[in-house]
Amino acid sequence: MLQDQSHIDSTSQPMETSAAGLVDRLTTSLPKIYRSYTVRVFLQAIITIWAVMSLTFVLVRLMPGNPVDVLIEQILTAEGISYQEAYDRVAASFNIDKDATELDQYFQWMGDLLRLDLGTSITSPGTKVIDEIARFLPWTVFAVGTGLLISFVLGIIAGMPMAYYRGSKLDHILSFFSSFSTGVPNYIWGLLIIIVPGIAWRWFDIGALRGTYDVGLTPGLNAAFILSALEHAALPVFTYVIAILGTWMLSMKSSTTGVLNEDYVNVAEARGLKERTVIRSYVGRNAALPLFTQLTISIGFVLSSGVVVEEIFVYWGIGHLLFQSITVRDYTSLQGVVLLLTAAIVFSNLFADLTYGLLDPRVRVSGEK
Amino acid sequence: MASSQMLEWLVSLPLDLLRGLVGFLRRLSANKPGFVGFLGLVAYFIVTFIMPNYVEFDNEPKLDQITGPIGSRIQLAVHRDNPHLDSWEALAGKTVGVVRQTGGPSFIEPYQDQFTVETYRWTSRRQGPGIPAALTDLANKEIDALLIFSKTVNQVIVNQEDEELQALFQDNIIISNPSLGPPHLLGTDTQGRDIASHMVHGGQILILTALIGGVIATLIALFFGSLSALAGGFIDKFFTALANLFLAIPQFILLVVLAGMIRFDSTLYLGVIIGLLIWPALLRAIRAQVLSLRERDFVEAARSLGLSVNHIIFREILPNMSSYVLINLIFSITIAMYFQIGLVVLGLAPISDYTWGVMIYFGRSRGTLYNQDGATMALAPVLAIALFQVCLVLFARAIEEIFDPRLRSAG
Amino acid sequence: MFRRILLVSALLCALGMLTFAPLQADDGHSHTLSVAWPYQVPPTGHFNTFASGGIALGQYMDLHEPPLAVLMWATGQYQGMVAEEFGWDDDGNYVIKVVDGYSWSDGSPISADDVMATFNIFRLRGDAVWANMTGIEKVDDHTVKFHMSAPSSLAERIILTTNLRPASVFGDIADRAAMMSPDDDGWNGLLQELTEFRPESPVSGGPYTILPDTITEASLMLELNPGGFAGDIQNYDMVQMWNGETEVVTPLVANAELHYITHGIPPTTEEDFANRGIDIVRSGMNNGPGLYVNHDVYPLNLVEVRQAIAHAVDRVQNGFVSLGESGVAVEYMTGMSDGLSEAWLSDDTLDMLNTYDYNPDGAAALLESVGFSRNDDGHWVDDNGDTLSFELTFPQEYADWSAAAENATAQLNDFGFDITARGVQFQQHPQDIYSSNFEMAIRNWGLGDPIPGRSYLQAYNRYNGQGEAAGEGGGAGMNFDNNISFSGGDINVFDVSNASSQGTDSMAQAELVTHLAVSYNELLPAIPLWERYTNNALNRNFINVPDSSDSVYANFGGGADNWMTTLILTGVTAPADM
Repeated sequence: MLQDQSHIDSTSQPMETSAAGLVDRLTTSLPKIYRSYTVRVFLQAIITIWAVMSLTFVLVRLMPGNPVDVLIEQILTAEGISYQEAYDRVAASFNIDKDATELDQYFQWMGDLLRLDLGTSITSPGTKVIDEIARFLPWTVFAVGTGLLISFVLGIIAGMPMAYYRGSKLDHILSFFSSFSTGVPNYIWGLLIIIVPGIAWRWFDIGALRGTYDVGLTPGLNAAFILSALEHAALPVFTYVIAILGTWMLSMKSSTTGVLNEDYVNVAEARGLKERTVIRSYVGRNAALPLFTQLTISIGFVLSSGVVVEEIFVYWGIGHLLFQSITVRDYTSLQGVVLLLTAAIVFSNLFADLTYGLLDPRVRVSGEK
Repeated sequence: MASSQMLEWLVSLPLDLLRGLVGFLRRLSANKPGFVGFLGLVAYFIVTFIMPNYVEFDNEPKLDQITGPIGSRIQLAVHRDNPHLDSWEALAGKTVGVVRQTGGPSFIEPYQDQFTVETYRWTSRRQGPGIPAALTDLANKEIDALLIFSKTVNQVIVNQEDEELQALFQDNIIISNPSLGPPHLLGTDTQGRDIASHMVHGGQILILTALIGGVIATLIALFFGSLSALAGGFIDKFFTALANLFLAIPQFILLVVLAGMIRFDSTLYLGVIIGLLIWPALLRAIRAQVLSLRERDFVEAARSLGLSVNHIIFREILPNMSSYVLINLIFSITIAMYFQIGLVVLGLAPISDYTWGVMIYFGRSRGTLYNQDGATMALAPVLAIALFQVCLVLFARAIEEIFDPRLRSAG
Repeated sequence: MFRRILLVSALLCALGMLTFAPLQADDGHSHTLSVAWPYQVPPTGHFNTFASGGIALGQYMDLHEPPLAVLMWATGQYQGMVAEEFGWDDDGNYVIKVVDGYSWSDGSPISADDVMATFNIFRLRGDAVWANMTGIEKVDDHTVKFHMSAPSSLAERIILTTNLRPASVFGDIADRAAMMSPDDDGWNGLLQELTEFRPESPVSGGPYTILPDTITEASLMLELNPGGFAGDIQNYDMVQMWNGETEVVTPLVANAELHYITHGIPPTTEEDFANRGIDIVRSGMNNGPGLYVNHDVYPLNLVEVRQAIAHAVDRVQNGFVSLGESGVAVEYMTGMSDGLSEAWLSDDTLDMLNTYDYNPDGAAALLESVGFSRNDDGHWVDDNGDTLSFELTFPQEYADWSAAAENATAQLNDFGFDITARGVQFQQHPQDIYSSNFEMAIRNWGLGDPIPGRSYLQAYNRYNGQGEAAGEGGGAGMNFDNNISFSGGDINVFDVSNASSQGTDSMAQAELVTHLAVSYNELLPAIPLWERYTNNALNRNFINVPDSSDSVYANFGGGADNWMTTLILTGVTAPADM
């Protein structure tokens, strides 16, 4: 439901944390290590993740309803038994230590985290959260990553002529397409893709394209599996592409427009360089530069951007795990997923900050002043 | 900053604004797509802010018009022997049947004293005849005409399980006038209510909230973003850290928690909360822009000339950033619109404000997308929001060309 | 660089086209039954059907873990499944005899040991069935005796609707549980061992076995288990179980890739299905949404106000806009479904009941009788001069309830109330009711259970003082005083509803049920709106089952006693082309 906001963040600067004061104090004791810029921002990223995770720990427990109640309601709805029967059954099938206070749980969880242990699921006792993540994560990375990459490449290709032929018919059509397609949320695109080509035109068997690959294939580097995986990912990837392509087109267009007016382009043209050389070496490269940063930052939001699409196409990835954990209030699974999402966002921001200076020498990294 | 400079700036500001506005309108009319976008926005304003005063919100469930197709309208069924009964005038003095809780009664009201009205109670098939009873009376000439919705007639006549009744209806009844009563431009929703009237009423709050949210986010980002970039040091560290923290907090979970604690009924509050949730990404972007512009030649030149900070911000940096800020404002507005659907799902926004967001949510959850006749309930508002974004982008493009000094010179 | 980008994107596009390559076709010789139920895939989903998170396929679990018996709702008689003989003995104990000659998919025979294992684990879990049970005894290889403290029709129902689990899988834990008492040290440890127990593969005693290798998020396959119960009379080789909730399975039904669903489908979707020639099967579910009020909020505690609300809301309209023809207005307003009312109440009692027909004038008269009046805007004002303004909450995610709430609000506001409808997340909504944090709310009335007294558990127990059990610190729910006086005298309605499901004398039970029905009808603690009927989509072009006049359809889909699984277990369901 909630829109991915990554596209309004185009360039970025090093990260700091609200615990900067603490870090400053640490500097007196660890001056040598701290003086290293990379180590410092990395440390700050870790602290940001810790702060978000602590907040998350509190937030998930503040959510109305708890795992026991949710399961009771589910059983009541599905089986039509009395409240007391449902309660008895559910209370026994969870093994939550009722004596542990929330503070105990917090320290327990933090301690486990240090040992890289995410704990076990509450609603499926005995199932390790790390196993759940390992089951679902690769498919989201594959589908959303592919969608992001394709839309980025297509966006760059389509965005440049829009700027070059500003005001032409091509520009008008592409502008309309890009602003319209981003104005429709991805889950509506997904439903329409199922309803129009799927049900009305019967272009494909809807059920056969569900899941991540065909039953009976062995995951690995064999042609049958790869083809099957691509086939199953096609619809979600297409949905992601159509829903975010417009953003890249518009960004690339405005970026190119800016570059076209830079002095060095005019100089290059005046020097009589071939138009193709100017487009490739001067305009294209420089216009795409800020978009690479934008791409790097989007990667952090990739994992959570397809929640509803994954449900609609029954292409279960980390978005499904997130959705499911929230629905049944599975605190431990939810914390595991959120940790993953937070780390992805923080580290992709960090990566963007570290690489931006390298990509664009004009921007000095302020931390190095 | 020096007070004399401040004074000078305050005096020149209104004049500059006025001059800018005149020039802006002149340039706008020269920019075709921008002008189209401008007209589109004006149309949106008229439909969502002025038309609600003239179009009534259809809140009356009409059981036999549920998920009516686009352009659906009330129909007049008459006996085969009376094909001439095809207009309100011809019905004068006759007995006309209407089925309560359907579209009939409201259409018939203005003409009520011209003919006798026979009312039938609507009942479900399981509980006994409602519409079949009315049709039987019509077939037996106990009433002269029956106002009824076409889809229902078809369903009852064609799918009638009782073959005797089916024969009676098919032999005796014709659907006479296909154009009686106002059409439902966009069809009807799951309660048989006119979707077009909901579209007219559902835009105002959504757009206002989104504007408030988008503007607040942009203002926060603009103010603190430029402040961070220009002031540097602790202030910079603090705001970037805050933005980074906000970006990483799982917003959906935060909203779920908020929904359990607070309830928002005011447009203003809703807008504010949306603005407070979507500013961080924008802040990062604007800060980076200011940082980058700060190093540019013309800013360096202005600095070396000893021009004031005031001058540098308002005359050098802001104009060079305005197009960028504008396009991000537009994205923020669209994000804020869809954000509201998320708030509806969570119960943070009341459904009594029947906005486009509520329509999309209910349209989807009540399965209308799977029904050709009913799909407008969710698709009409989606289309409206998407086209609104198109208008904004086209309009913003024009503004971009007018304000961006580099584009202006490129002409 | 530009050319390189072009090249890469062309390659990616080509890959994209490849994915639309022709799909594999079915061989067409085997017969597959295509149905659907939402489940979780491994590792979250697992094969321990006693623990939460297991791959439990709802009523289709009957095909995998067959039930002891099925109630035929039309006759009120149980039809034996795995239990071929069952009944009370002279000492008031329940005895069942398990059918001979069938085996689990791992080869072990279906026997009394499986019944022992199943019920011993119920004891470990603290299931309600053990409330009236003092012990369980294996009489011979196929006979089990349940020692009861008091015979009751409720205990009989719980025992007979149990799905049998294999002793070969759960026997070890069950045997250890049987040796212990809940006070023993190892009890909680054993319980934890049970919940974390993960059988390696599913073991089926029914006609079909889950194939673990076929489980994906899209669907799973069940293979014919010829040696299992009813495995010898099946017409299918496979059952394909599609995964997902309504929105996800709808396109499959529309495309005829899925042939039968029990999901509640919105009326608009139903219409689309009907246009495609898909049959909609409706059976009364004996429950539905009702309008609950907080009896601590004046003037909702006045019986006249609640009666006025009942008169002011057109339940026919409310049901139809919410669930189409499957939203059937409640007629008798007894707190039970109309079907149960007709089955348990005498004709004289039924005639005496107030049916609260849609009658705004009557509603107005009721309000005026307690000193309320309409103000200049047409709004009602109570005797203190306050307008009748309330907030009506409902679970936002339930499409039919949200429609009912939206419509009831509109109707009541038309009548002169001032109601604001507000959706609440479905996880939170019941919590709000338990903790009395509401004014008016849409919650469920009735129960899909043939024992009539249990229908009153919602109004008198779950939503009334159940906050403690729900972990919300003893909230009093709707704050209704269960000690009531009505035309038939003074009773405690909760006690009477419990008493009515005890014993096996149906005459005595009927008398108590009559008290409950008449008092509910007079006092209307909560106002039932409509009864939910199933709207199962059944594609008869693929599935051959009896036509809709058959009495088996009185067994509604959704809980135990589902007609479809009953027809599969009796070998009736068949492919349409057979």
